[in-house]
Amino acid sequence: MVDESRRKFLKTTALVGAGITGLSTKTVKAGPKNILDENRMGVLVDTTVCIGCRKCEWACKTAHDLPTQPLDTYEDRSVFEKMRRPDDKALTVVNEYAARETEQFPLNVKVQCMHCDRPACVSACIVGAISKEENGSVIWDTDKCIGCRYCMVACPFQIPAFEFEKAWHPEIRKCDFCFERTKEGKLPACVEICPMEVLTYGTRKSLIERAHQKISLYPDRYVNHVYGQYEVGGTSWLYLASRDFAELQFPKLGTNPAPGVSEAIQHGIFAYFVPPIALYALLGGVMWINKKKAESNKDKEVHHE
Amino acid sequence: MKKLFLILLISFPFVINGQSKFSTTHSNQNLTCSSCHSCTIPTKENPCIKPCPRESMIRVDQKPEEGPRIIVIDKLRDTDIYAPVKFSHLAHAEMSDMTGGCRTCHHYNPPGNVIGCSDCHEVSRNRTDISKPDLKGAYHQQCMTCHRSWSGKTDCIECHAAKEKADLKPVKAKDEKAKRIHPEIKTPDKITYNTKTDRGKLVTFYHNDHTDLFRLECSQCHSNESCAKCHSQIKKPADLKITFAEQHKKCSNCHETKNNCNTCHSNKETERFNHKVSTGFDLSKFHSKLSCIRCHTTPAKFTGLNKDCVTCHGSWSWDNFNHKITGLVLDELHGELDCESCHKEKSYASPSCGDCHDDKTYPKEKPGKLIKR
Repeated sequence: MVDESRRKFLKTTALVGAGITGLSTKTVKAGPKNILDENRMGVLVDTTVCIGCRKCEWACKTAHDLPTQPLDTYEDRSVFEKMRRPDDKALTVVNEYAARETEQFPLNVKVQCMHCDRPACVSACIVGAISKEENGSVIWDTDKCIGCRYCMVACPFQIPAFEFEKAWHPEIRKCDFCFERTKEGKLPACVEICPMEVLTYGTRKSLIERAHQKISLYPDRYVNHVYGQYEVGGTSWLYLASRDFAELQFPKLGTNPAPGVSEAIQHGIFAYFVPPIALYALLGGVMWINKKKAESNKDKEVHHE
Repeated sequence: MKKLFLILLISFPFVINGQSKFSTTHSNQNLTCSSCHSCTIPTKENPCIKPCPRESMIRVDQKPEEGPRIIVIDKLRDTDIYAPVKFSHLAHAEMSDMTGGCRTCHHYNPPGNVIGCSDCHEVSRNRTDISKPDLKGAYHQQCMTCHRSWSGKTDCIECHAAKEKADLKPVKAKDEKAKRIHPEIKTPDKITYNTKTDRGKLVTFYHNDHTDLFRLECSQCHSNESCAKCHSQIKKPADLKITFAEQHKKCSNCHETKNNCNTCHSNKETERFNHKVSTGFDLSKFHSKLSCIRCHTTPAKFTGLNKDCVTCHGSWSWDNFNHKITGLVLDELHGELDCESCHKEKSYASPSCGDCHDDKTYPKEKPGKLIKR
């Protein structure tokens, strides 16, 4: 008897859940207060120009008060022997990919937060600490952050890092697009220092236009792909390269915003608080019926005696 | 009234064009308006100049000595973390002689004085027009392309002094009389290329024959070459895997390279070009002092001339040909004959006397006096 009712309960919940999931898959909530600014900024990274001087790494650390070696040590190219990822001590890193047979120079690629237009981290953050700002940057409020590290799991580019080795008050760390600097009208530190102007700072719109102009002017130099224009619904940082992005450890991502499916499920389940109420009402009802049945059974048992 | 207005409207662009000083240097170039302007009717206010496409841009070249000897690049002095670079302009200009001349760096080089980087490239990186790099980017993109391929190094201190160590005394650019810094480039006479093909491994290339005899300009072959071509300390561009067409590009301007490998490729070193051996036409007798172009008038195409004298010389007669230059001064009697009386063949080679004389033959008897040529 008890078994049967549990099965019934599971069935009902599954049905309700499935119904809710189908409700809305198109409205994604993660965004700068849900509106993307028309003139949000971005950076176009032309990897074909980069010489791997790693000045950006130094500038980034200096701007973010992170410990760093002196500037001249950055000319040591042996760091390129292995691939590196941005972490809590280096918010951006430059990697090197060996020159192919037809090329004279190796290819250097700077890696940092892409500052998605529809950031998965914003969506995943359960306390609403992360936000997409009007100027395009994806930043977070350290005071709100509870260190759940959901953003690290959610990020399609695996960018947010956590100060694991800190026992006291560890924080999430990632590129913040130099939010404090740009607020004052300065350029992001890496953009400012880059000697080759690999990094062009401008409105995302104008950068995309410029990127395509470059491709059409020098079709032999670039693959016809602006990485970040459509990936996961668009990113503020855009890349040009001379070879397929898959060879440069750029994840192959669809054009749908990363938070799309998960938000549809999550937000659907709790939309207007109706499903929880309905669920509890249902459970209450089931309990009430069961209780009644149990009572009548008791009566019967009493009667038997 | 309406008609007049229409006429005015139509003629307006022509009037505008007529007024502007359309530089003669422009008209000498192989240019259409659309080479530089993106719109059909450019005006002074809105010239709609296209972003510089390096290769097709018009250019004016000057001699290295005409430019400054040293330039102190200090436009970014206030913001840069390194000290200004003392740029040896003359040395670089001389180096560019072998490549593309001034336009190696001054890629946008319209008629008039050669313009510097900062005339187009903005000092401030924080700018609205991102269609071209800012000044710092422009400098480095220009310098690093060669420096990197030459030394393989990207170290800043190759060019910059650290700010604290910098000697900030102004450089007196006109201190020294401008003289050549880069040693004159010695051209090789013969280069034997060891190629990878099975059929005809060796290509013997007589460099000076190409420049002196065939009168090729240096730039016809050596265009867009970087310093690394000679000075490379790392992987040379020549070592890169390139396509057949690219590999033969310089030769195929003149030579047919697709089917006739044997023209250049051989299993042993080949002899220097000899006009008599290769074409059967001996130049040494009368034509030794001529440059190829005197007869082979199509530039860089040296094939297919008829060996008959008339092909080049037109018709000769006694009054427009001085027989003396052949080493034989005709006597009075023969001097007034038509050439064809004696020279039956178009090659004007061996004359025959048979038409007039039964008992005389050339060269046993001569129709004049032999002289030393």
